[in-house]
Amino acid sequence: MKFWAIRVGSILLAVLVSYGIGMVAQGSSGTVSRLIALAGLYVTLAVSLNLINGITGQFSIGHAAFYQVGSYTAAFLASQLLARGTINNLGTPIPWVLAAVGIAIVTSGIAGFLIGLPSLRLRGDYLAIVTLGFGEILRIIIQNTPQLGGSYGINSPKAFVVPYVWMLAFLCIGACRNLLQTAHGLSFLSVREDEVASGAMGVNVTRVKVAAFVLGSAFAGAAGALLTFNEGFINVNSFTMDVSFIILTMVVLGGTGSITGSIIAALALFTLPEFLRDAPPMPLNAVLGTLAGVALLVGTIRLALDQKKLGRDFLTPKTYMGFGIAAVGGVIVSILANFLPALANRTIPSAELRMVIFSAVLVIMMLLRPQGIFGHREFGLGSIFKRAQA
Amino acid sequence: MLQVKDINVYYGAIQAINNVSLEVEKGEIVAIIGSNGAGKSTLMRTLSGLLRTRSGAIRFLDEDITDLEPDAIVRRGISQSPEGRKIFTNMSVHENLLIGATTRTDAQGIKEDMEHVLERFPRLRERLKQNAGTLSGGEQQMLAIGRALMSQPKLLLLDEPSMGLAPNLVAEIFDIITDVKAEGVTVLVVEQNAHKALGIADRAYVLETGSLVLQGTGQELLHSDKVREAYLGG
Ligand SMILES: Nc1ncnc2c1ncn2[C@@H]1O[C@H](COP(=O)(O)OP(=O)(O)OP(=O)(O)O)[C@@H](O)[C@H]1O
Ligand SMILES: [Mg+2]
Repeated sequence: MKFWAIRVGSILLAVLVSYGIGMVAQGSSGTVSRLIALAGLYVTLAVSLNLINGITGQFSIGHAAFYQVGSYTAAFLASQLLARGTINNLGTPIPWVLAAVGIAIVTSGIAGFLIGLPSLRLRGDYLAIVTLGFGEILRIIIQNTPQLGGSYGINSPKAFVVPYVWMLAFLCIGACRNLLQTAHGLSFLSVREDEVASGAMGVNVTRVKVAAFVLGSAFAGAAGALLTFNEGFINVNSFTMDVSFIILTMVVLGGTGSITGSIIAALALFTLPEFLRDAPPMPLNAVLGTLAGVALLVGTIRLALDQKKLGRDFLTPKTYMGFGIAAVGGVIVSILANFLPALANRTIPSAELRMVIFSAVLVIMMLLRPQGIFGHREFGLGSIFKRAQA
Repeated sequence: MLQVKDINVYYGAIQAINNVSLEVEKGEIVAIIGSNGAGKSTLMRTLSGLLRTRSGAIRFLDEDITDLEPDAIVRRGISQSPEGRKIFTNMSVHENLLIGATTRTDAQGIKEDMEHVLERFPRLRERLKQNAGTLSGGEQQMLAIGRALMSQPKLLLLDEPSMGLAPNLVAEIFDIITDVKAEGVTVLVVEQNAHKALGIADRAYVLETGSLVLQGTGQELLHSDKVREAYLGG
């Protein structure tokens, strides 16, 4: 009884908050409204990839592929409706949007099933390559299919989908959280822990892995369909490897397995580049120098942390020396870079700088906090209350 | 209850089990002893459906289970506490036990069995919410056995339950095995600690490089010259 009350309450709250976010978006400029939608889509993408990678322990790095399947399903549908005159260029009515999302869930779920199957035989790097390859192959096929707009793209009448984007995000979060509280969800975690032992306990490892892929892909596909109507126009450039890597970065950064971590990392990594977007191009030598300095600094901190683990001091003369070397090293690299003709006087546009920062952040995390910001932990209203009481 | 007939198991080209036949009757404790690499774990994994036989048949309760999937075998009533315990170290003790009941749907029965397991292993109750990885070796072994019991097995497979445990804990584990038997669960136990295993076993087999070379009651083997020489240190 109480359980149901909490559940119904959270659903109502999620719907209300989604409409609230929608109202804020409606009141803001077109650019801000679009960003609010994209932020919600990235939350869904990160949380759904976390289901596959974090919770079930697979290593899928081509999540954009399923996003793409959903997006193109919706766009194709919209273009057909447009051709028949069922809808016009002014906009897609919401019932059609929701129908398209439903169909996109099915198509991307099927795609997830097909990619999930090899995951039964492949592990780690090999699975990663299959998922990445699938995304690239799909992109190239679409690029060469005129019915899907080829390399130009497809127009689909816009719709105001911000509330639905956030409802989807909350649904995805809620589904993952609830899953972890059921016996079924535990078997997802146990597959991550030890496949053979899970099998020996009677966990149907095959079914768990495929289910994770199907569920994760279906959510990504739904996000894709909403993207289509939010943008009004899509082409294959929205689904490059970069997008997959950004989603993966969000999951790893948040702490693989932690839903909370995925949400926070998705929001942080999504907003950060938006601030960088208007930044002027950076001199290449300064970027290289900074990277070198950061690398040396991180190395020093890692070594000092290892010392600390052995019970020694964190701050020793050697640590200070490391900091010094990091600073001097960074400056030297940036000066030297300007002496090399290939590197001198070049700049990095802010869009590319984004990828540099992502990669650097990932490497730093791997060195300093391999378990991600949140590790496997969750942070919810419940735990806040518990901590407040304690 | 369990009839294994002429099974052969390979890892690629390497044969690990060679024409093994054995039987376990309801209510028995049957021990399999053998030295490192004899194929004991291979045999256990095959019984659980984690490895496939190349030929031969495994029957359980008058049903051919040779080609069943691991979860189907657990549903039929065979569960295993694997070599090296293989507990889920990043999950709590409670969650580990629940995974043991993963093939069951009777919530009430699961609750009762959980209570039963915790009564048997009071140390697990004290550590219910703790990460299983933080348990001591002995506690982890108890968890592995408790987890296997959560599926309500008719036949419990134990792969080296005494491995790496101090003598007093070894004794405790073997007491538990006898208790489990007393409650009507049949036990097939693989051990390097031949002395202890033969001491509690109704019957036992000796496995050498993939083949069964000796069998008899626990007491017979305990006093056989061959076993004394090879496995009991003379
Ligand atoms: N995954 C594997 N791939 C190839 N060969 C294997 C594999 N696992 C075991 N073997 C080989 O099969 C043989 C039997 O191994 P098994 O693990 O069954 O022995 P065991 O009797 O359990 O030994 P121990 O007492 O050390 O646990 C050994 O020669 C081993 O090297
Ligand atoms: Mg073994």
